[in-house]
Amino acid sequence: MRRRWPLLALGALLAAWPWLAPRYFVFLASLILVNAVVALGLNLLSGYTNQLSFGHAGFLAIGAYTAALLTIHAPAVPVVVSLAAAGVVTAVVGLGFGVPCLRLSGLYLAMATLAFGFVITEAILNLDGLTRGADGLRVPVARLGVFALASETARYYLVAVVAALLVAAAANLARTRTGRALLAIRESEIAAQASGVPVARYKTIAFGLSAFYTGVAGGLFAFVVGFLSPDAFDVFMSVDFIVMIILGGLGSVPGSVVGAAVVTVLHDSLAAFQNYRPLIFGVILIACMLFMPGGIIGVGARLARR
Amino acid sequence: MRSMVLVLLSALMLLAPSPAAAQQGVSDGEVVLGCSNSFSGPLAFTGEQATKFGVDLYFKVVNDAGGIHGRKVRTVYYDDGYKPQDAVANTRKLVEQDKVFAVIAPQGTPPVVATMDYLEENKVPLLFPFQGSPVTRGKKYVFSGMTLYDRQSKMMIDYLVAQRKVKTFGVLYQDDEYGKAFLTSFEKDLGRHGLKLTAAESVKRGATDVSAQIAKLQAAKPQVTFLVLTPGPGAQALKERQKIGWNDTVMVSSGPLTDERYLALAGDAAEGVEGLSLWPDPLTSDRPGLKSYREAMQKYFGKNEPNRYSLSGYFAAMLFTEGAKRAGKNLTRDSLVTALEGIKGWENGILPPITIGSDHETQRQGFWVKVEQGRFKQLTDWLKSE
Repeated sequence: MRRRWPLLALGALLAAWPWLAPRYFVFLASLILVNAVVALGLNLLSGYTNQLSFGHAGFLAIGAYTAALLTIHAPAVPVVVSLAAAGVVTAVVGLGFGVPCLRLSGLYLAMATLAFGFVITEAILNLDGLTRGADGLRVPVARLGVFALASETARYYLVAVVAALLVAAAANLARTRTGRALLAIRESEIAAQASGVPVARYKTIAFGLSAFYTGVAGGLFAFVVGFLSPDAFDVFMSVDFIVMIILGGLGSVPGSVVGAAVVTVLHDSLAAFQNYRPLIFGVILIACMLFMPGGIIGVGARLARR
Repeated sequence: MRSMVLVLLSALMLLAPSPAAAQQGVSDGEVVLGCSNSFSGPLAFTGEQATKFGVDLYFKVVNDAGGIHGRKVRTVYYDDGYKPQDAVANTRKLVEQDKVFAVIAPQGTPPVVATMDYLEENKVPLLFPFQGSPVTRGKKYVFSGMTLYDRQSKMMIDYLVAQRKVKTFGVLYQDDEYGKAFLTSFEKDLGRHGLKLTAAESVKRGATDVSAQIAKLQAAKPQVTFLVLTPGPGAQALKERQKIGWNDTVMVSSGPLTDERYLALAGDAAEGVEGLSLWPDPLTSDRPGLKSYREAMQKYFGKNEPNRYSLSGYFAAMLFTEGAKRAGKNLTRDSLVTALEGIKGWENGILPPITIGSDHETQRQGFWVKVEQGRFKQLTDWLKSE
């Protein structure tokens, strides 16, 4: 029971946030939660099965455009359905992409995912009959039955509830067969294989799960930001996601959330000089690798043990 | 637990409504304006010149002369690198955190459109964005900047058909809002004269090879070929034309393309090219407003060469100042909108006299230029787009 207190306090803070914080910080909190879901998804892939992806901005784009187009062409569809559709469509693409990628590892996998990200932005540009290409797409207001989620607070709650569910699911994943298999693969691929874990199948599952999380986040992103264009989903966005999980802690659920929060707030406070952003994020990445390979969560755990 | 309650209570107290201020972003001594613009990414040069060396240049002049009704103007800028989600976040930050009075001179159709509905809902004026798509029409708090694309098309077609007696037209356009807005307007304006486009070829944004399109256009033999592109592909089209020796067409560049960078990139392939220029030559024009512009640039940013992007920002700040002066001491968002709508025949020394009606279009001008020895030479007086 004692362990539950911090969680309950966090939940209360999340629920009360729109009444505590100025309006802009409600928007910022929504962005943090969206990014946290992406970081969770990326962590399932990179943290658990050691497959580094530089293409998650592409998955986010698929989810975002799926949710947006569904809402444009079928405005009556409740937001829950469009988010689920965003997740499922992205997961299918993720699986389709994950299977051929099984043969790749390390640098080659990174290159393939990098190319995947570029292919997606090019596809959005060229499918302009559907996506309005470079002009961008205005996302209509999300609806839940008779309610239109038009206010900042309503959107925030939508994001918060979805993010909480996905965080809980990810945290409990470790207790399932799939979760144990992924953890085994993380520790040692060869040992896992030797103990009868079908590594190839679980790596593919990780790809699908990761894409599902990112796709749902994409749907949330579309509703929070309200406008999509292929310019949004560039390679720097994918790198941001990698910084989030490395800074927070590879393979850690709380680490994903913390990493997403730090990177999003940093991104926001550097809004006046984006030119320096790659430099600053690069330094953070190198420093993490050198001095705190377990990320913020790793450092926290070490301090707690003392 | 008790400490948490305390924290919550004190946070609530901080947020208790303060006595209503007269107008967000306006105090006795200051007016705060701002925008999200490109300071990195593909349009970084344009963005930086328009704001830090354009808008700010004129406000330096105004502030040193005592401000507007005693209020100094302060500007806040954030970088979106042409990414709409960052433009949205930055604009919210400007309105909700920096408490700007109005947004001035943001750049690019996608970032501007991404923020337009939010600003209109919150009744924050969106002043003179650097983009020409007609999507900004019909909003209460939005005033367009650049001469809108359909007006540019009308000026170009009317001049070429009526005065130059051109009968056949081709167009090479960028496959997005910018290019398509021109394409539909060209078709409509040619229709008025009983003419049709002979050939239309598109270029995807970011493409660098235009040889196939140029070959197809050449086969259609138009007397005039419009280029509705950005400087990179625009210059590429001119070089390709030179390479294959296609000499019996006049290449005409759209307003946004007719700039010095496009000339520099094309080199001697630009010789003889014509186009619609939206601004007087920033370096050589002897209009009185241009002289003061160059003097101010010399005084405040001596190392920065005058150019049409900084001139456009300078003019945006000038127009805001005129509106704010007319709105009087009691400056509110609504009084500014009313004052701007009331501007009629305003002599400004840079552009022809400005009249802004209820359509909120601040610019309708343009004149014809031809490239001679690497510079734009003016061929006509201001053309009409009414």
